[in-house]
Order: sequence, then structure tokens, then C-alpha cells
Amino acid sequence: MSTEPALMSLTAVASAIADRRISSREVTQSCLDRIAKWQPHLNAFMVLEADEALKAADAADAALAKGGRRGPLHGVPLAHKDMYYEEGRVVTCGSRIRRDFVATSTSTALQRLKDAGTIRLGSLQMAEFAYGPTGHNAHFGPVHNPFALAHVTGGSSSGSGSAVAARLTFAALGSDTGGSIRMPAHFCGVTGLKTTVGRVSRAGAMPLSQSLDTVGPLARTAEDCAVLLGLMAGADPADPTAIAGAVPDYAAATAQSMKGLTIGVPSAFYVDDLDPEVASVLDATIAVFKREGANVIQVDLPDQRQLAGASQLVLAVEAAAFHKRWLIERPQDYGPQVLMRLQNGLAISGVTYLEALRWRGPALAAHVAATANVDAVIAPVSPIPAPTIAESDVGNAPNAEAVIQRLTRFTRPINYLGLPSLSIPSGFTKGGLPIGLQLVGRSFDEATILRIGAAFQRATDFHEKVPQLP
Amino acid sequence: MTRPTEKEILAVASAAGVPVDKEVATRIANSIGPAFEGFAAIAGTLPFDLEPSTFVVVQTEKAAR
Repeated sequence: MSTEPALMSLTAVASAIADRRISSREVTQSCLDRIAKWQPHLNAFMVLEADEALKAADAADAALAKGGRRGPLHGVPLAHKDMYYEEGRVVTCGSRIRRDFVATSTSTALQRLKDAGTIRLGSLQMAEFAYGPTGHNAHFGPVHNPFALAHVTGGSSSGSGSAVAARLTFAALGSDTGGSIRMPAHFCGVTGLKTTVGRVSRAGAMPLSQSLDTVGPLARTAEDCAVLLGLMAGADPADPTAIAGAVPDYAAATAQSMKGLTIGVPSAFYVDDLDPEVASVLDATIAVFKREGANVIQVDLPDQRQLAGASQLVLAVEAAAFHKRWLIERPQDYGPQVLMRLQNGLAISGVTYLEALRWRGPALAAHVAATANVDAVIAPVSPIPAPTIAESDVGNAPNAEAVIQRLTRFTRPINYLGLPSLSIPSGFTKGGLPIGLQLVGRSFDEATILRIGAAFQRATDFHEKVPQLP
Repeated sequence: MTRPTEKEILAVASAAGVPVDKEVATRIANSIGPAFEGFAAIAGTLPFDLEPSTFVVVQTEKAAR
């Protein structure tokens, strides 16, 4: 066991607490010690609730001593993106508008993790209303990348990526509508799972786009993500879009090798105009897949620019509709970039929006046909590693949307198709910036991409690198 | 389908109940234009009987083979 409990993985620390090799208080204190050291540099936490967390840890230890283990994550301290409603608590959604919003119910995903025994460290920073891919926030300041403090974390789950990477929390909920889990996972060197649309209930999660929103975890390993998904997935009366049926044993899937699986490499788009170091990491990852027994073949995907365009049209309209009241009543309370992006949705007619929605089925069918011979597709999350905070601070400048689109060009098509995608730490630049790649799976087949991700992590150690303060 | 003009944006935003000024309309036209261009080859070509719910059908019956 590591001398610093906060450095353990989620599954390892849960097991250690369950076996009473370590107490929840020791684990929680270890996280708090790291938070005290890192938070001034990262700005990853929105709110820290140290005293409450220690009290909850003591209660968890006392319950365990009496044989009262609440669930598989008993006594494990976590913090989540500040958009998951928890009854009686302020949930800011990274905004000024909701600075004092007190939730009257608890989100299903959060409740299921609480039922599994987790305790709360506080809440994590995010892009305002989850509408930004870099980690900037006009109201609460930017979140910093633990591997290079002058660089962005990616967003919108900026605090989640930063805090998991710095080992301040063992895992964190994020959300992914256009890349908001995979971008911070890529930039911060952690594992992030965008789930299939419909896999995890969105009840009590702040909405951005009802067609594209997904709930998912960021954690240190694919195995950790598998455990969290297994706890959160499944039908929910509060969200009819969450599919019914048995939840697969994702954790069991991660024990398998990738031998015999076929992984596709796109012949175009995802391999075009890559930063040379991202391209090099993609090649090296493919070599690992082959060494581990996977069959790697090229796949010709349908035109991804069409998917990206449709994705943007759907997102822009749905986001503008959710925000219409505040766009009328409180436009001055948005940050300039988020206001600008919300206004984009005002330019799109109802007919165009519905056309973009109607095409989703045929577009997915075309993707299924193109990938019929592969179990998953490997692709970069973004063409570049994390830019600096200064160079990506475009605000509402005329080129802002172009900058955003370049960063997210490899994530948006996947959101439109509703597919699951796992971002895995796959290498580092010469300057020490993490590079993540995404494994895109079939609808509702998170198990296979988690299996490949876990096998990759047994063969590599990129996910184990711990950032150091300068 | 081409990117919307400033004039069209002024009209659509007004119809949506959130009118914008000319400067904002110009900015929106530049900002959202590439999305329209990306979708241009699809717009106006979809078959009559295609419903948005087809996505769920494909997702649950074909994609999760």
C-alpha cells in the first residue's frame, strides 16, 4: 500500500477500507492534505467541506466496525462536478446565475454513489453551465492543469479532470455533451468515460442538451470507471430515457485481455492535421494493441464533418431553449463566451433543428455499417495537447467559436451518434503534457471499451504518473 | 443550405423571442456558419417517413448487436 492513501486507485482504496487495513478517516485526511497543498494552484474545487467529510468518514468507520458496510464504496471520499443536484445544497453549475441555487432533490447518479457508501469532499469547478471545452470560467477563474499549471484542463468537467489527476479525489462525475469528459481526461492524463446516451439516468443533472447529454465518471483507471458505471447505470423512473434491462458486469469485463478483439483505426478525419506528438502516441498505442493480441484494421468512416455540423446545430438550439428565460431576463449575468455560444442557437430555425435530429438514426446506421467488422475504434480526443490558459482565453472574440470547434472536432461526432467513448491516458509530450486517446464503442457496449482500456493500462503505466508541484 | 445571413438571424432570433442587435447577428452568422456548411449535404435530402425516434430504434436494435 502506498504511504499516501490518496494515491491509491478507487478500487484499491475501497478494498482497503472494507478490509479495515485503513480507515475512511485516514483516507479522507490524506485527500484533504493534498487538497490543501494543491487547491491554491489548481482552483479545482468549487466548495470544500472538510469538517463534514471527516465527520462522515468517522461515521463510516464506526458503521464498519459494527459490520455495517453500506456498499462497495463504503467510506470512499469523492467530489463531483458542481452540476449534480444534491438536496439542500447549493449547486452553482459554474455560474453566477445559479450562485445561490439550492437543489430540492438529489440526482440519481449521485444518489446511487451515495448508496454505495461514498462520502462527500465538496464540489468541483466546471465551465459555466458546462458550455466550454477549455476550463476557463469567467466567474470563478480558470482551473489549472496539474501537469503544467499554465495550461488548460479542458472542459467542461475542468475541476473533475484536474482533481482526479492531482489525486485530490479518487474519482469524479463529469458530463459529456460535446466532449466534456473526454477533453479533460485527455488534457489531464486521467481515464474518462462518456457513456451511451440512455445508459445512465440524467435525472437531477443540470441539462444542456436533452438529446446529447450524458453522465459519466473520470477516474484513474478503466477499472475504476467500470465500477462506477456499474453502480450508476440502469433504469430510473425519474428519467424515462434511461434504458431498462440488466446492467452488465463492467468490472468483470476489465479483467479480460484484448486478445481476439478487432480495433479500427480511421483512415481519415481523426488522423488528419494531428500535432506530431499526438500522431506519434496514436502509432505507439496501436503497437501496444497489436502486442496485446488485438487485431488492428483500418476503417473508412462516413463524413465526420457532417456529423459535427449536425451535432452543433442540435446542441446550440437545445441549449438556447433551456436558457431562454435567462437570456431574456439576465443576459448580463453570463460570461461573454457562454452568452455568445447560447446566442448561436437563436439563429437556427425549427426546421433545420428537426432535420438535424431526424438524420441521427440514418447517421448511426451508416456508422454501424462502416464499423461492422470492429469491436471499437481508436482515435485522438483532440488534435493537440493542452494549450496554455493564455493562448486559449479567446472569450467572445470573433474567432472564439473556430478555436472551440478545432479543440472539439474529434469529440462532437461521437456525441451526435450517442456512442460510448473511453478516453485513456496514452502518452506524454516531450514537455510533459498528457495525451489521451478515445476508444469508441458500439451503443450500450461500454464493457468492450472498458475491457480494452483496462488491458491497455495493464500493459502501460501512463495512468500511474502522478503530477508534482513545481 | 448555406450559412444564415445577418438578416435571417435577426428574423429567426426575433421569432424565438430573444431579439438580437445587428452586431450580434453578424457575430452569430460567422460563428454558426460552419455548422450549417457541415450539414449542407444532408439538409433537404431526408426521406419523408423519417422520424427522429429512428435514432433510438437503430441504437437499441442494430448498434448493440
